[in-house]
Amino acid sequence: MSAAGRWLADHCITIGSPIALVAAWEWASAAGLLRAAFFPRPSTIAVHLGDLALDGTLWGHLATTLARIGWSFSLAALLGVATGLAMGLWRRLREGLDPVFAVIYPIPSVLFLPLVSFLVPPGEIALVVTTAVTSFFLIAFTTTHGVRQIDRLVVEAARHYGAGGWRLFAAVLLPGAMPSIFTGLRLGLGFALIVVVAVEIVSASRGLGALLWLSWQVLKVEDMYATFFVIALLGALLSYGLAALRARLLPWVPEVGER
Amino acid sequence: MTFESRGRSVVALDRISLQVHAGEFLCVVGPSGSGKSTLLRVLAGLHRQSTGEVRIEADRPGTPLTAMVFQEHALLPWRTVRDNVTFGLENRGVVRAEREARAREMLAMVGLTRFAQHYPHQLSGGMKQRVGIARALANDPEVLLMDEPLAALDAQTRAIMQEELLRIWATLGKTVVYVTHSLEEALLLGDRVVLLTARPGRVSQIYPVDLGRPRGLEVRASPAYGALLETIWSRLREEVVRAIAADRGAGSDGVAT
Repeated sequence: MSAAGRWLADHCITIGSPIALVAAWEWASAAGLLRAAFFPRPSTIAVHLGDLALDGTLWGHLATTLARIGWSFSLAALLGVATGLAMGLWRRLREGLDPVFAVIYPIPSVLFLPLVSFLVPPGEIALVVTTAVTSFFLIAFTTTHGVRQIDRLVVEAARHYGAGGWRLFAAVLLPGAMPSIFTGLRLGLGFALIVVVAVEIVSASRGLGALLWLSWQVLKVEDMYATFFVIALLGALLSYGLAALRARLLPWVPEVGER
Repeated sequence: MTFESRGRSVVALDRISLQVHAGEFLCVVGPSGSGKSTLLRVLAGLHRQSTGEVRIEADRPGTPLTAMVFQEHALLPWRTVRDNVTFGLENRGVVRAEREARAREMLAMVGLTRFAQHYPHQLSGGMKQRVGIARALANDPEVLLMDEPLAALDAQTRAIMQEELLRIWATLGKTVVYVTHSLEEALLLGDRVVLLTARPGRVSQIYPVDLGRPRGLEVRASPAYGALLETIWSRLREEVVRAIAADRGAGSDGVAT
């Protein structure tokens, strides 16, 4: 069998299941089993998606959302990794911050929007900061864990071979924490997308969340589904992108769950 | 080269006094919990003994006194084989060209030249331990410390590695302190065998191993080997029984299991 043929045989279920689902939906809508007003045919949605892309509407909203995610994620990653490393290295700090984090972390992030709006200029900055909150906690948590789970024997061996102070941090503790940090970044990026869309639904007039909500309110259901699809695709692309980056930057991490 | 350690420490060791000769291969055996590893860690400077002293005579400034081969290899997973070997040199500020030349030399010696750019997770247990040995040797220490380096390997790999060790030691003439729980291994490798008692660890007896050099696995067939093994084993056996009894006692008190 050719390589492509083998790949297809291996992945036929993975590829086939969404296709089957869409086909069933198409058929059910066409046959009148689903109400076309709420469940338009996927082929119709695709046409609307094409229109949104052609007249530029989609790209404007997409760019806005991407920019917000970019700022929020950078903010969360920078502060989250720094805080997480500090908490991983200093027990006192960890003991002090753990309970605070435990209380704040489970609060749904959208609820921070009004609070954040008191603290920073409302509008774009408040939106970005609110989006960063949950990602920050996730990244800080996993980074702390990353430092703490480093094999003590490895650290001991590194010391024995003369690594101390800054060198121990840069050559041992930081690389040792990197796999966990990447897990945090991936989760954090996913949450940034979730929260930014939620915040856009609540309070913005631009961005994918706003587009989705406005489409729904004026009953442009096809546009709503089209936006929905774009958001889902964006989430998948961001997640896979970071996974690919990780494989490239951390070649020493054995692949988990390789198929 | 001499060292003395009179640790009346809470942990494990009591009035250990030992001299290791330059170029000697000294094996340390004893029941579990006799403080074999602790002794090695004290020598390595990983444990600060509360009392007692370690003296290592060295006339080459700039090289470390000891380098340790750890039982669980303890390689840095994020460094390639070569960069693991050069790690100690890097920390001491040895220039790059010299580091890499040294790594090439050591990797050739342990037969891993082709794997210089691999990561530890891509290697078998025996290969990882070869890297551990190359890493230690690259630092050119006065004393090479080895803490049951072959204990985690399967029997065949261990036999191969034992012969490799003998070859490397014959080539470099390093002073080695080698902790093992295997008497057979100690007799195959060592010039002398130090038998430690059950906790607290003391020197029970020091046995010279007069089985000639070069030595290989075939030494096991000689009568002298069998006799020495029997002599040391009868003494070690008592200590092992005592150690087990002591553990049981502690276990019934709910202190340890």
